[in-house]
Order: sequence, then C-alpha cells, then structure tokens
Amino acid sequence: MKQSRKLPAWLLWSIVTIVLWGAWGLVSKVASEGVDAYVNQLLYTVGLAPLMVFVGWTVHKRNSEENRERRAAGVFWAFLTGILGGIGNLAFFQAMVKGGKASVVAPVTALFPMVTVLLALIFLRERLGRVQWVGLTLAFLAIYLLSA
Amino acid sequence: MHVWLGFAILALVLWGITGVTQKLSTNCITSERSFLWFCWAMVALSAAVLVVAHPHWTLARIVVLCSLAGGALNGLGAWTSFRALESGGKASIVISLISLYPLLTVVLAVVLLGERLTWMQSSGAITAITAAILLSMEEPSKTQA
Repeated sequence: MKQSRKLPAWLLWSIVTIVLWGAWGLVSKVASEGVDAYVNQLLYTVGLAPLMVFVGWTVHKRNSEENRERRAAGVFWAFLTGILGGIGNLAFFQAMVKGGKASVVAPVTALFPMVTVLLALIFLRERLGRVQWVGLTLAFLAIYLLSA
Repeated sequence: MHVWLGFAILALVLWGITGVTQKLSTNCITSERSFLWFCWAMVALSAAVLVVAHPHWTLARIVVLCSLAGGALNGLGAWTSFRALESGGKASIVISLISLYPLLTVVLAVVLLGERLTWMQSSGAITAITAAILLSMEEPSKTQA
C-alpha cells in the first residue's frame, strides 16, 4: 500500500501562521516609514475588518450554546485582550517609527510569552518547568544582546 | 536605553498580559467568539485613536497597502493558529513552532529591506527565538490528565 506523504493539517496551518506573522513584521516596518503609529493602527483595523465579518458570520451560524454568565465573563476578557493587544500594537508600530529595525523589534516583541509565564508564576501560582526557566533566562539575555 | 527599545518592551509586556486574558476568555467562550470580541475592541480603540490621529490623505499607496496588509496578515495569522490547534496539533508543538515567525521577519528584513545586524544583535535574535520556543513548551507532566 502506498504511504500518504501529505503534511498533517495542523503543520500546514502552523507554517501558514509563520508566513503571515513573519510578513506582518516586514509590512509594519515599510508602513512605519510613511505613517505614524496612530494612523497605522487605524488602517490595521480596516485591514482586519474582512476577517472580522467572516468570523462574525461563522459565530452567528454556529450559535453555540454558552452559559450567559460565562459568556459575559468571556466577552469581558476578550474585549480586554483586544484593548491591551491594540495598545501593544501602537507600541510595536511606535518602536518601528522611532527607528527600530524590523529584524530586531520582531524578535524582542516575540518574547512576550516571558511576561505571560511570569504572570502565571506570580498570580496563578503555576510552577515553571526546567525548560521554561531556561527560556526565561535566555529571554533576558536576548533583550540585552538585542539592545546593543 | 533607545526609545524604540522602550516601545518594543511595552508591546512585549502588553502582549504578554493578553496571553493570560485570552486564556481567561477562551475558558468561558469559543475561540471564534473570543476573536470576534477581540476585533470589536480593536474597532473601539481605533475610534478612540481617531481623536489623536491626524490622517492626511496624501499617504503613499505602498504605505497604505502595507498598513492594511498588517491588519489582514496579523488577523489571519491568529485565525490560522487557532485552526492549527483545532486540527489536532498539540498546543506545545504548535505554539513552539509558530514562535519561529520572527525568524522569517529577520530574513525578509535583511533580504528585502537591506537591514544589517551586528553580531550581538544576530546572536540576540537567535537567542530570542530560542527563548520564545522554550517558553512556549509545556512540561510533559502538565499535559497529562
């Protein structure tokens, strides 16, 4: 029997994600040469709109049953995620506008899991594995090296 | 400290906090509904930004296209990352794998924008990507039920 050589779907989606986010860093740098961070954020949201319509249609179609209280909490946290993420975007664009290279700003900002891990350690009292401790140490070292 | 680095660290901190708030959200609602409300928040923030922004309509076409593409690429990337997780990929593998995205930005910026890195910055970029992958890895004991 001939063995299938097809890539698993999750791997394909992961590769597509790398390409999309990798290209995002590049186009953000090009855009930062001609607009300020605020206008960039405005246009960014316009660019997001078609996907928003598609996802809104999907959510409407599925109409999943969720507990009303849990839904309210979930919506609150999602909205807060959007606000923090958006302000984070403004800071990201501003870093580019202020002369940060895409090849340096992208790796620095990609270290954001270190904050998530630290917050989980402090507030959620999660324990870190050895691998994550090494990651955290390397993250601090990376910021030092990239700021040189 | 360079001004750009201060802003980059601010973005890192805010995006890091969203790692927790996003988790709290998807504990209660589907990832799609969560994403939709994330987008609504972006719209609300952009409405607020309009007060301070001074858009001038003589922007170069390439700049406008790149800004628009930024939103589309980042949003689509978030959506495809959800699809990767929903298609049976283990979170520890998928998230570690997609943490490689800055590597592509570095390559594209060097090749297409002609950016040059010092040896310290090059080692920093490699260290950062390694750190992001390690931070995204789950301990085997945590994934066991």
